[in-house]
Amino acid sequence: MLARRPFFITFLAPAVLTAVILAAAIFEVLQYSVREFIPGSLNVGGFTLANFAALNKPIYWWVLADTFFISLLTAIFSLLASYPVAYALVRAKKDWVRSALVSLSITPLFTGEIVRTFSWMLTLGTDGFINSMLRKLGVIDMPIQLMYTRFGVVVALVQFSMPVMIILLATAIAHVDRDCEKAAANLGASPSAVFWRITLPLTVPGILSGIVVVFAWTMSAFSTPQLIGGGKILMISNLAYLQGFSVLNLPFAATLSLVALVCALGSLALMKGVTSRIERRLAVN
Amino acid sequence: MKKLAFALGALAVMASATVASAQEKLVISTWGGNWKEGVAIVGKEFTKRTGVEVEYITGGTLDRLAKAKVARDNPESDLVNTTAHVGYLYYSDGLMEKLDWSKIPNAAKLYPMAKRSDYTVADYVYVYTPAFRKDLMPKDFKITSWEDLWSPAVAGKLGLPDFDPSHVIIAATKLAGVKPEEWDKVKPKLLELKKSIKAFYQSDATSQNLMRTGETPVQVLLNINGYHLEKLGMDVEIDVPKEGAVAGTDVWGINANSKKKALAEQFLNIALEPAMLAQLCNFHKCSPMTSEAKLDPEIAKLPGIFTSQEAIEKGAIVLDDKTYATLLPQWKAWFTENMMH
Repeated sequence: MLARRPFFITFLAPAVLTAVILAAAIFEVLQYSVREFIPGSLNVGGFTLANFAALNKPIYWWVLADTFFISLLTAIFSLLASYPVAYALVRAKKDWVRSALVSLSITPLFTGEIVRTFSWMLTLGTDGFINSMLRKLGVIDMPIQLMYTRFGVVVALVQFSMPVMIILLATAIAHVDRDCEKAAANLGASPSAVFWRITLPLTVPGILSGIVVVFAWTMSAFSTPQLIGGGKILMISNLAYLQGFSVLNLPFAATLSLVALVCALGSLALMKGVTSRIERRLAVN
Repeated sequence: MKKLAFALGALAVMASATVASAQEKLVISTWGGNWKEGVAIVGKEFTKRTGVEVEYITGGTLDRLAKAKVARDNPESDLVNTTAHVGYLYYSDGLMEKLDWSKIPNAAKLYPMAKRSDYTVADYVYVYTPAFRKDLMPKDFKITSWEDLWSPAVAGKLGLPDFDPSHVIIAATKLAGVKPEEWDKVKPKLLELKKSIKAFYQSDATSQNLMRTGETPVQVLLNINGYHLEKLGMDVEIDVPKEGAVAGTDVWGINANSKKKALAEQFLNIALEPAMLAQLCNFHKCSPMTSEAKLDPEIAKLPGIFTSQEAIEKGAIVLDDKTYATLLPQWKAWFTENMMH
């Protein structure tokens, strides 16, 4: 192929260069993870496995479990919140409704993560929008704690992930063969039966890709848990940041980063296995 | 082809012009926001006297340190403005030039404690101290001692910096009557503080935001931030506990391998002029490192403002930079593992 089309080399060059730089960076992280930390110095010492041994503390297992749990919750709630929007986006009859839905669901992608997180801080805070409304309506006397909780972090991450989930689901819904739905309806299926037994199963590949993408994305979330979690809710990237840029323990930060990478790849491989099995089962049925 | 050659030629001219103008500039690494504005007060005066422009590169304390380490042989800046114990990390790693005091005669007017090392010189002192929103705490609530942070009235209301737990650790050692190096002895006491902590802030901005929104009506904060909140009309009381507030100093250092060492020394000498320090400290509301710098009387009487070295030693807990720099990683690691989650 390359001999017949030499311009392919030119096309491949940027990708190869990026891959080489990425591999070099990962190698650097790897070599830092097996170096000794010297307190009060920027230099690292000799080779050691002590950083991996230091992981054997409950805090690190908790943070890993929390990261996994928050990522999973975010993926599931993003799916639940995004599916109706994506469905309406594809199936709306009026052009202006579709345009409005596209604008509303995609625009957040163009605002930075920090901006969105700050707006959630204003919404979830003690004197924020939700607490103020609930107090004015007489539902609560004292503000409820929404900031610095897993709930607050998940809510903000769900909103952050929704545009991507909506795009993936809308693509899947748009590819559903409407004739199948019409056939089911002609055979007497109610609209809800058509949805649950035809439309939804046919969009499962989109649902699974959405879950995998949002899960992997959330595993590396940083600023949202940092700001909404206020240091009380730590995800693995926050812990790596604290070790690297606060303690200046770059070797241990590298170890945590490596663990995060392995966990993310492991989770993705696991999910890939599960999704392939589901897709195969659906194909057979 | 001619057009392409012309365009490339124009680009080359523009690039060389940029390099030329960069050569005439003194580059200073400092924090953003108010801190940069403070340094810019000196920068303007420096440009007025020398005709040399000042360029600022801004960032957080530790990411600037990381960048300096990466650019060791060809530093991005000529002067560094950072925290004193981080200054130790710079020079212990060979990232700062030894200061030639004969080229900085104004340094002689400073308190002896201002010469932090052969490489760094401090221009002002600030403190980390408890503060609280009077309108959000009980009427009879007062902070006279660091011990008050452990009181039931503070439960679930305290905000602390996530980047530096040293203040409460140093305070706990002071309360227990042990040296900071013996902080192991106060771990149980520190764990008791968990019930008071509501959140950790990541920066001056988030500290101010948590106080403004009332999320953490009690904080251990930088006194300068406290005065800023008062200026914004917030009902904040800043208290210096009887054990003393925890002092911090910012220092200047010249980047190792800077090609503009003479200009950097000239800048430092201007920065350390008493009149300049007075202007800077009136701006930040901090304590200058010389009694020759005359503060506005209104500022001089604020809690946490000192007008002599004796006053600093009496009203503040001061730790040497090496001890601070070597203990901080241990404190931080322990705090992250035991207090934050």
